[in-house]
Amino acid sequence: MKYQLHPWLASNLWVLVALAIPAIFLIGALLYFTGWALAFSFTDLELVGRKAVNWSWVGFDNYARLFTRRGFLESLWTTTIFSFFSAIVGQSVLGFLLAATLRTQRSVLRGVIEATIMLGWLVPDIVAAFLWSATTAQTGLINNLIITPLGFEPVNFINEFALPVVIIANIWKGTAWSYLLFSAALDSVSREVVEAAKVDGATAFQRVWRVILPIIRPHIATNMLFITIWTFTYFPLIYALTGGGPGRQTEVLAIFLYKQSFMVGKLGYGSAISVAMLVIVGVLSLFYLRLLKEPK
Amino acid sequence: MSDVTLKNVRKSYGALEVIHGIDLDIRSGEFVVFVGPSGCGKSTLLRMIAGLEAISGGDIGIGGRVVNNVPSPQRGIAMVFQSYALYPHMSVYENMAFGLRLSKAPQAEIDRRVNEAARILQIESYLSRMPKQLSGGQRQRVAIGRAIVRDPKVFLFDEPLSNLDAALRAQTRVEIAKLHETLDATMIYVTHDQVEAMTLADKIVVLNAGVIEQVGTPLELYRSPANTFVAEFIGGNKMNLLPVKGSASGVALPNGRTVPFAGSDLSHAVTLGVRPEHLERVGADSAQISGAVEVIEQLGEFAIVHFRTREGDEMTIKLGGAPDIALHEDIHVALDPAVGHVFDDAGRALRAPAG
Repeated sequence: MKYQLHPWLASNLWVLVALAIPAIFLIGALLYFTGWALAFSFTDLELVGRKAVNWSWVGFDNYARLFTRRGFLESLWTTTIFSFFSAIVGQSVLGFLLAATLRTQRSVLRGVIEATIMLGWLVPDIVAAFLWSATTAQTGLINNLIITPLGFEPVNFINEFALPVVIIANIWKGTAWSYLLFSAALDSVSREVVEAAKVDGATAFQRVWRVILPIIRPHIATNMLFITIWTFTYFPLIYALTGGGPGRQTEVLAIFLYKQSFMVGKLGYGSAISVAMLVIVGVLSLFYLRLLKEPK
Repeated sequence: MSDVTLKNVRKSYGALEVIHGIDLDIRSGEFVVFVGPSGCGKSTLLRMIAGLEAISGGDIGIGGRVVNNVPSPQRGIAMVFQSYALYPHMSVYENMAFGLRLSKAPQAEIDRRVNEAARILQIESYLSRMPKQLSGGQRQRVAIGRAIVRDPKVFLFDEPLSNLDAALRAQTRVEIAKLHETLDATMIYVTHDQVEAMTLADKIVVLNAGVIEQVGTPLELYRSPANTFVAEFIGGNKMNLLPVKGSASGVALPNGRTVPFAGSDLSHAVTLGVRPEHLERVGADSAQISGAVEVIEQLGEFAIVHFRTREGDEMTIKLGGAPDIALHEDIHVALDPAVGHVFDDAGRALRAPAG
């Protein structure tokens, strides 16, 4: 495709250059930091101590360590479970179902549900973590309201079901995005097309599966792209809620990276972890971007 | 049997009733056009027949069976939508095959019926294309093809031509008429365009504000409109309506001249209707109505001349060819009582012209 420059811009090229300066700085900074992370990942640089000053190149040692030492692969698995259930299954499916069922409603219920899921989105992570922590604690709301009245012993959910609690908290936190995106996507599906499918004999499920979902496929891919990237590298809510524990049950890659870099102090190893995360997210993104493309 | 019967059919949204008890019999094989201004309920009525809108009261029967609670696919209908409503992610072939695939028809049967429909509509050469690669007219054919493939008892068309340009609309109109001839199926067609109604219909149903104003063949509606609404709505050029005073022997025009109507008591008449094509331009001495020309719409084949009478009423006259008349000139017209329509104060026709 050939772009035609606006005549005014063509005669005032300095405007384009001026506008490009912030972008150049931004891209430059991104490349600079990424470059440093990449460079550090081949060193034994540490946060404190002798190796903070006298570091040396260690080749692919840090990368080998990802696979030979305990930690990375376990965290990768935890992150995969966390991302799959909270983002792809939870936020996406729940967001779609809410969007699909609420769009025909004009009731108070819709307002209440929309406000609720928006609140989840708007509440700061740390506040959300505190709320969930308090709600699921042994003396928290769920125990007082449901478990104890039913005659069971109170359960310390964060200790006993750490990963599920974190997953549910993140679903609550992130569904608004998928809901908004799918609401907009469903509005773009012509009502008559859906009615045509109805006349053609499609059941409600077939209308969704064979007509609506294929039509909004690019929106689904966009949504997946965003929420996968966000969830895969998500840190604050989990860290504030569990700190990665108990044990390492909720130690997702972002927390593993943080602990290795700033608690253990191995900046080189931490850099290797971040580069690995970058590669994984990059590959996933490529997959989604392929989905975005129209079929030939 | 594929006749459609409506008995006291009603539709309301909450307290607001939009269809006020429609009774209608549509015979098998008939081409029926629902026509009316936007918001008259014609599309709602069609969608109720299609099963896309619930019926608030009354009965809808298709082929002798009440279908009030029968889902759309089992009603034996197929619908062509205004926006064509093609599935954008499926090829032309798959668009037409979708209904058959859902009903688990064997592939050979699907092939046969899709190809047959494609042949009738001459769209065989783009069966493998996607809808967005087609022009509006081609999409319309695919939408009709999708309906044909279902082999329905009743075809429902919801303003199918309104998204096409004028030339294509005229052409597609003729093709739909041919299609009706070929398929010999019952067709119900909704439009706001009286030209489509006149040219396509065996029977026109004129709707206004949720009630039927009149049902009849195109010529019946043209010649004997039951009321002023139908009189104004049907016909290429809007009928002139003049306030008159009725008497036992005829009606008195605003300028005091009397138009005699023999044989009918017109003492309740308040409106005289006469179509622009039935007015006659005459010399000043034999004029019944005189006025000054305000607008001339010259169409080559004929001209529509808008004039204002001395009494201030706006009227139009249709004159053949390129009439020798200029703006602001005086124009004198006469009307033959044989072509006059007379209406009472409720707008009901008191007398229709003979022939």
